[in-house]
Order: sequence, then structure tokens, then C-alpha cells
Amino acid sequence: MSDSIKNIEDKNGVIVISTSGYFNNVAGEAVLEIFNEKIDSGSKNFLVDMADSKVVNSIGVSILIEIIEKLQGVDGKLAFCNLAGIVEKTFNIMGLTKYCEIYDSIDSGVEKLS
Amino acid sequence: MSKSSPKRSVEDLEKQLLKKNQDLNEKYLELETLLDLTNTINSLDDLNELFFNVLTLSSSILNSAKGVVLLKNDVSNIFDPVSVFNIDELKIKKQIFNTRSGFLSELNKSKKSFIISQNNKFNHDLFDSSYCLVSPILYDKNLVGAIMLFDKETREGLCDFEKNDIKLLDAISMQTSIAYQNVKLLESLKKSNKLNENIMSSITTGIIEVNLFGEIEFANKEALRLLNKDEEEVIGNHYLIIFEKNDQLLELIQKVESEQERVFENEFELKSKRKKISVNLSCSPVFDEQKSFSGIVIALDDLSKINKVKSTFKKYVSKNIVDKLLENEDSLNLGGTESDITILFSDIRGFTSMSEKLSPTEIVKLLNKYFKSMIDVVFKYNGTLDKIVGDELMVLYGVPLKSEDDTDNAVKTAIKMFQSLDKFNEVIIKEGYKPFKIGIGINKGKAVSGNIGSEQQMNYTVIGDTINLGARLCSHAKSGEILISSSVKDVISDDYAFKKIPSIEVKGKSKPIEVWLYKHK
Repeated sequence: MSDSIKNIEDKNGVIVISTSGYFNNVAGEAVLEIFNEKIDSGSKNFLVDMADSKVVNSIGVSILIEIIEKLQGVDGKLAFCNLAGIVEKTFNIMGLTKYCEIYDSIDSGVEKLS
Repeated sequence: MSKSSPKRSVEDLEKQLLKKNQDLNEKYLELETLLDLTNTINSLDDLNELFFNVLTLSSSILNSAKGVVLLKNDVSNIFDPVSVFNIDELKIKKQIFNTRSGFLSELNKSKKSFIISQNNKFNHDLFDSSYCLVSPILYDKNLVGAIMLFDKETREGLCDFEKNDIKLLDAISMQTSIAYQNVKLLESLKKSNKLNENIMSSITTGIIEVNLFGEIEFANKEALRLLNKDEEEVIGNHYLIIFEKNDQLLELIQKVESEQERVFENEFELKSKRKKISVNLSCSPVFDEQKSFSGIVIALDDLSKINKVKSTFKKYVSKNIVDKLLENEDSLNLGGTESDITILFSDIRGFTSMSEKLSPTEIVKLLNKYFKSMIDVVFKYNGTLDKIVGDELMVLYGVPLKSEDDTDNAVKTAIKMFQSLDKFNEVIIKEGYKPFKIGIGINKGKAVSGNIGSEQQMNYTVIGDTINLGARLCSHAKSGEILISSSVKDVISDDYAFKKIPSIEVKGKSKPIEVWLYKHK
């Protein structure tokens, strides 16, 4: 597992990916890789926990947009939880929040997505 | 020439539109982040937090993979990494960065952001990077630090930074330099405030600051002690309330307010809660930069301690010596040190048989009168009264304050004591008592002086052979006689009527002692 990924678990059919550190190209690619694996094995709902990623860049965000596009094709969902204020603001500006929900915690995200 | 289908054109157009939209969003994000950065860094007063925020936010908007902030160490002039982002700190901590050579030398000259490309002579391996963008942190136009960002990220991989990135990082570093200067100024202001606070709380002068509205803005610990009030009671209150029982002080403050000139009052009586304290007071007007009157500073020097020392010392030494000691503390020698002293002993001859015929009350009354007249003479010639033991007086010259006339003063004291005794005797004879008869011995030499005794009781006194011989000379002196040793005779004027008499043998001395005699009447 990449240093950028802290944990992956299946909670009630929702794949929870917890990231760590700078959410950049490296972290984005790591999430994309997990997403591709999981989607191939039939998972459709994903929750990205960013409690430990306080900084993101636009390359990381563009990879997330790519994931959202792919999910729209299979009627899946991507949501985020535990976002730092500055990260949430970046997601808003980059238009991410138009396509996916943001939750306060893993539990509330899993509850809504499952 | 191939003709694309209308569907393909619409798809291309959509893609172009999406790309434009994304570019626009990225520009918007840059602007927002720059604004955030400005707001954040200007509200920070901690340099570590400031640099970390600068690094993460600039990495975020410039899509750099990692970064570091270097800051000049004022002592070594070496630029230390003070904040790192996605970089192994341990690896770069061993590297010395300075302006003598390399990229910092160039940055020091240009003071502008630039790209260090792969071709430049730069240790990219150290940062495990391929590209670098560096920007200066300036203080008073001098290079004090650098923001370094490494490897611009794209979906296709890492690439070099662009001109726009330089402009953006330049703007960030300019903001950072201002924020750094603000933090430094704040730090120095805090430091000087702390220093002022420490000075104010440690000085023994009470300081009170009154503002233009008559409210007390500051009072140091000593001032609060003198006023016998708490800080909460004093600060923010009007001086009319705080000094309401000190009419004289109120008058002085009002005088300074109206005339705007400094006033001094020596031995001013300050009324505190239930007590009066003697202080030296100064009341000074304060002016602002425009030379307008902005308040008053009152300085209070507590005299009660000095007065206590004075009254205690005056029991043992003349006022003259007390004043000299207070003027020059260095002259005071209270330690256990050996020095040249002159010692005078006097005692009453036949006192035991005389006292047997008197009542205890009469003895005390007569002795008190006698000692008063003798001690007046001692102080007149700057002697230090060491002790009174029964009917014996022990007087020192040369401690705790040395003078060239010490021995001469001892001899003058002895001669004058006989003259005073004559007057004293005239009075008591009239009262029906028998006259007092005294003998005096004076010696000079080395003796150890200091506070001698135990923790329970300690007295300033002298010890040594010189003292013992002085006491022996006194015991050999008959009524009306002054006996001096050769060490005394050697330094006094020949005008005194001393005559050499046969040497005397004293206990503890193997050889007889040469002695000179002065006979009163």
C-alpha cells in the first residue's frame, strides 16, 4: 500500500479509503488504483476519508474528477468525509462538490452511501 | 482534406469548454488561495506556523510535489531548513546552505524568484527532485530566507516550473517577507516590553505612570508596596482617588499638570494605608512625539530603610561616618578582613568599691551620664563604639571606615575624655558623689574585623593581639593616665606630651613592651 493510503476497508458495501499527507498526483494515483481494482470487483460506492490530508493540489483534484466521471458511467457514488476547511474550499472552487457529498465522519458517510 | 463529422465537432467543443472551465477554476483557486494566504500569514505571530502555511499553500496552488523554507541563522549566517513539506528533513539538515556560492548567492544578488532547471549546477539529488523554483524572503531589503518548491506535478508526470509560477511565488514571497517582518517586530516589541517589565519590577524605586486623563496606567511592584494597594485597585483609577489622603501629593501632581515642569521633594511624607512613609519624590511631566503633554511619571524612593540603617548605626558611630558610609557603600567593610586599626580602652578606677556605697539606681544613673559624656567625645573624633562592658569602653578607629587621622583621633579622644570627665566630676561632686577616675590605653596594629558570633547573636567587632595589648595597656594605666604603645607613638605628632616610661611586661608577650605615658593634670 502506498504511503498516501492509510487504510482501506469495506463498510456495509462502501469502500472507505483513508488517505494520508499531501493529496497530490501521487496520492491521487494511489486512490485511482484502488478505485479501479474495487470497481472491477463490483464495488460502486466509495468514501474518501481525508482526516489526515490537510493539503491538496489541483492534480490530486483532477484525478478525483476522473474517478467521479468513471463512477457516473456505472451509477456509482463517491463521497468525502473529515475535510479540512481549506480542502473543502478547494473542492468547492474546483466544482467537485456539485457531483459528490461531503460528510462529517466515516460513520455518517457510510450510513448515507450504503 | 478530411472533413470531421458535426458530432465530433460538438464533442471537441465540449472538451475544449470543459478544459477552459477547469483552467478558469484553477485560476480562481490560485486567487482564492493567495487571498487565504495573505489573511492567514498576516494573522500569525509564530514563525514556524507562518512558514509551514506558506509552504503548504504555495505547494498546493503551484502543484509542486514538495518544498522547503530556509531561514538565515543570525549567528552563523547559515540558512537552516525551518519548514519542510514532503521532504526528508534529516537528509537536508546536514547540508550547509549559505550565500557564498550556489543558488543562494544568485538569490542574494537578484532578490527575485527564479527557476533552477536540471541544467543548473544544483544538487537535485539532495532533494530527490528534478526541478526547483526558489524565491527570496527579505528583511530590510536583505536576504534572510528562501522558499523552495520542487517538481511541478502534471497528470503526465513531473515538469519544470513556468513563468506564471515565478510571478505567483514572487507574490507569495513578498507577502511572506512582510509577515516575517511583522512577526520579528512583534517579537522585538514583546522582548523590550518584557525587559521593561523586568526592570520595573526589580528596581527599588516606585514608579507610577498617570495618563493625560489622570488615570493610573502603570504602577510597579515597589510603588504598589509603598501605597499598600493591589494592582487591580490602582490601575485604571484616577489619581484623585488613589492619593485622596495625600493632599500635598495631589497639589504637586496638579502643579506638574499645569506648569509641566518636574518637581522634587526630599523626605516627603507619603500617606499609605494606616502609615506614613518617608520618601524622596519626583514628579515629571511626560511628552509624546509631538511634544504634547501626555501624562506624569511619579518616582518614589523609600527612605524608611535608609533611616532605619541610619538610626541603628548612629548608636555605634558618629553621624559623620553614617553619612559617609551611605554615600559610598564600597567603603563599608563588614567582612572578616584583617586591617590596620587603632583601639582605645578606658575604664573607671575603683569602680567596684565606689559602687558598693551606692544604690543600683544611683549607679545606673551615674554610669549613663558618664557614658553619655564620653561617647559624645568618641563620636566627635569619628570613633566607632564597639562595646561597653561594665565600666569599660572599647572604641575602634579605622573600621568600618578608614581615615588617615585614625590614630591621631584616638589620642585626641583620650585627652578630650579627661577634659569631659573633669566637667562631669564637677557636676556629680556638687550632687554629693565622689569623682570618677579613669585610665586609658591605646594600641595600633593589625586586627580582624567583621561580624562575629553565632546565628542567634552576631556583633560587629574586632579580634586579635592588637586588641589584647590595648586592653593590657588600659589595665596598667592609673587614674588620669593614657598609656600608648610604640606603634601609636610612631604615627602621632610629637606635640602631644607623651613621655617614655619603663617598659612593662604583659601576659602573653615574651619581651617587655615599650610604653609612653600622658598624664592628665
